[in-house]
Amino acid sequence: MRTAGRVVGATLLAACVASACSTTREAPAQTGSAPRAQDGKPDLTGVYQTSARRGDWDFDVPGEEPGVPAARPAGTIAAVQRDPVPYQDWARVKAQEYLDRRSIDDPAAYCRPQSSPRMTPTGLFPIQFIQTPQQVAILYEYFWLFRVIPTDGRGHADDVDPSFMGDSVGRWDGDTLVVDVTNFKDGGWLAPGVFHSDALHLTERYTRVDHDQLNYEATVEDSKVFTAPWKIRVTLMLREKNRLREYSCMENNVDMQRYQEFVKNPSLFVRKPEGAR
Amino acid sequence: MLALVTIVRLIPGVAAHLVTPVLAHHSFGVAFDVTKPVTVSGVITAIEWMNPHSHVYMEVKEKSGKVAKWKFEGYPPNVLSRTGWKKDVTIKVGDTITVFGWRARDGSNFAHLREVTLADGKHLYFGPPAGTGEGGAVAK
Repeated sequence: MRTAGRVVGATLLAACVASACSTTREAPAQTGSAPRAQDGKPDLTGVYQTSARRGDWDFDVPGEEPGVPAARPAGTIAAVQRDPVPYQDWARVKAQEYLDRRSIDDPAAYCRPQSSPRMTPTGLFPIQFIQTPQQVAILYEYFWLFRVIPTDGRGHADDVDPSFMGDSVGRWDGDTLVVDVTNFKDGGWLAPGVFHSDALHLTERYTRVDHDQLNYEATVEDSKVFTAPWKIRVTLMLREKNRLREYSCMENNVDMQRYQEFVKNPSLFVRKPEGAR
Repeated sequence: MLALVTIVRLIPGVAAHLVTPVLAHHSFGVAFDVTKPVTVSGVITAIEWMNPHSHVYMEVKEKSGKVAKWKFEGYPPNVLSRTGWKKDVTIKVGDTITVFGWRARDGSNFAHLREVTLADGKHLYFGPPAGTGEGGAVAK
């Protein structure tokens, strides 16, 4: 079977090369400057995927060993980088509890919307930017979410309740779109086990550095959970042949029922101390 | 005769603070055990092409001759379509396939489905790697 697998792997590799598959070759380093909107601002419009590679849709293909991807050239940049999280003491204990419970408490498992730093590096689910002179809309296929970010100089709304994704306002700092996000609900997660409070404040920076590449950096502050600001950096790559499709998390979310049964028997899944998986 | 084969394998780690952009709707480790990889060949009896996870149901004839019913869980339809799958075409009820994944912690015939080998020998991924969505072992 593995001999057959090698033949298949070689066939897939050849097919990918023949069809310019981005998963098996390095893309060119530069593909032209970032496009400009009519108002002279950088135009972020487009469908993007978290990836270190330019070109077509990026995904893994099986390699020689079952479950292990075929080897491919490393990207020239890291797709996602995250600072160590400066938890307050109590929060580190809480975060460790979540990890020891293998993130069974993750609100995403219950299909609850999550905020931007988590929804941006979504790998196999694209995101889309739509830009006008007055606002930028970001559409997230994963969880079928959207944000409408005014860029006309207005401040935060004072008549909205706290929400899962917060209230966003944008402004241009040179060629970078800077988005300030506040007014979150308590209890969301920024990554598995990394929770936040209603004091979460995000400063997001979106920079389309060339035709293909859109850099994202979020500074995360939460005076109730963290001791200092920290950052996450994500590289998004344009995927011109892709489009967003419907994603309905609640269609058949059997995990909610499954988890309700699991929590009755934590010994089945809770991470054990030394030597346990 | 179709056989049930288990292979023990280690999962390579990810460098600290470089986060792999693979997203899972829920944690792998709550339900599945990375120390219990499983390879099974059998006949598809049903397919759920649904969110947030697709499922493949199979009948697997064991060495004893007994037919065991299995359930496998993987990517939602959007991701499958972008990783080489086509609904009602790539696999159908009645097809014989070989699947690789990791078994449920409770020991039932339920598994996280990572890789499928089709009858013509083609390999495709049906789900993400082991460990996705758990967040690691240490808060950092």
